[in-house]
Amino acid sequence: MIDLNALRTQAADILETGEVGAVIGWRRGSRGMAAEPVAIVAPEEAASLVWDPTCFHNLALYLVEERKKPAQRQVHGGKPIAIVAKGCDARAVTVLLQENHFGRDDVYVIGVSCEGTGVLDERKLAQVLPGVEPDGAAFDGDNFVFATSEGERRVPAREAMMDRCLECRNAHPKLNNVVFGEETPRDFDAPFAALKRFEQRPAAERWQFWQRQFERCIRCFACRSVCPMCYCDECVVDSINLVVTPETTAAEKADRVRWIERSASRADNIGYHMTRALHLAGRCVDCGECERVCPVNIPLRLLNNKMEREAREAFGYEPGASIDLPALVASFRDDDPGQFIR
Amino acid sequence: MSEQTPYEPRIVAFLCKWCSSAGSDLAGVSRIQYPANATPITVACSGGVSPQYILSALRKGADGVLVSGCHIGDCHYMEGNMHARRKLYLVKELLEFAGVEPERFRMSWVSAAEGAKFAQVVRDFVEDLRPLGPQDKLNAERP
Repeated sequence: MIDLNALRTQAADILETGEVGAVIGWRRGSRGMAAEPVAIVAPEEAASLVWDPTCFHNLALYLVEERKKPAQRQVHGGKPIAIVAKGCDARAVTVLLQENHFGRDDVYVIGVSCEGTGVLDERKLAQVLPGVEPDGAAFDGDNFVFATSEGERRVPAREAMMDRCLECRNAHPKLNNVVFGEETPRDFDAPFAALKRFEQRPAAERWQFWQRQFERCIRCFACRSVCPMCYCDECVVDSINLVVTPETTAAEKADRVRWIERSASRADNIGYHMTRALHLAGRCVDCGECERVCPVNIPLRLLNNKMEREAREAFGYEPGASIDLPALVASFRDDDPGQFIR
Repeated sequence: MSEQTPYEPRIVAFLCKWCSSAGSDLAGVSRIQYPANATPITVACSGGVSPQYILSALRKGADGVLVSGCHIGDCHYMEGNMHARRKLYLVKELLEFAGVEPERFRMSWVSAAEGAKFAQVVRDFVEDLRPLGPQDKLNAERP
């Protein structure tokens, strides 16, 4: 069990000593029991930090956002930023370090281990406890404990946990400056279980499945916004880099490069999601945030898992394993598979 | 295309300028007969073929996409084709995973001296694509 007070004290201490300029963590949110991300800059604010099963957000996203807005750096005086990170979040930070998005000294990782459990899937909870809107959630060994108006409700964590947590490879943050919680052995589902089941279906059925999924996509770009790896200044679907001046002709505007249209249509939706999957190959750490935020429930993890497993099985590559690894597609081995080439 | 015309697959071929593009030239000057279904696009290196090119070609109505580069060890830029092999393996796997016919994407190594091989690669590709019919899965023009 993680001692929340120790975590708060740690956050207050590093802010007090000036070791970091800000701490990104979670606090009690305004939407029911769910926690929300928060950046604190004063030691006394550390008391608002929380750690519970609703801390699903991958906070590595805010490290990226912070780098994009130099004005924000004045707030914390260019000092390192501390981030509270679960196992998956710490892997995301590792990938960002691998890509030199910032230096190791610019980030202070306060690791929190999910231990034997993981974070809550609100969709599953709605099925396990229908009609109940808990006021709070807490970890208790193998269970989640929900505070409701009718008293405490205990739910085995397995039944209400995110799928990604059930398949988690490393719930203990390997990259950390300080870590809370134990490295507990996990005996959940083997990784890629859903993927393996899906791959056994015939091609026509797979196509039917994806067609149905992508037809629903409304191109809200929530998956892109929530992903710490989707940090490009200009996304391939945006093509906003055409500088429009009074001399720009209508033909030039019409002829600008558009790889994928922004508007939602089946072919363009598929193009967008396939491009995203390819851009995330060897970088996606399976934090599952894209799938969680999708308003139309597209199983995006399935696509990303496919790329992750190919990277692992064909190239022996594990995303987020080490800062020193080269990027998947910027490296090669002499014995990479090439039988498919004529 | 009127209904009477038999279906002809349209292939977009990304050819490395140092090998396969010269190989296609050799096929031409050697007067080797092969189908005219492939539209060649010369690229500086197969390693520079972004997955986006392939998806974009399919999106704009290509029935098949061919990427052809130098044999392993022969890259003009030392290791471009090694990168291409890894990157495009992922594209191939992803297309197949999504249920797109795996025959629609093909890769080959064709040197500047292999005009006959280039003709054979295109011949085989056209033959494999013909029974599949028009590509309408990723094609934005045919919703």
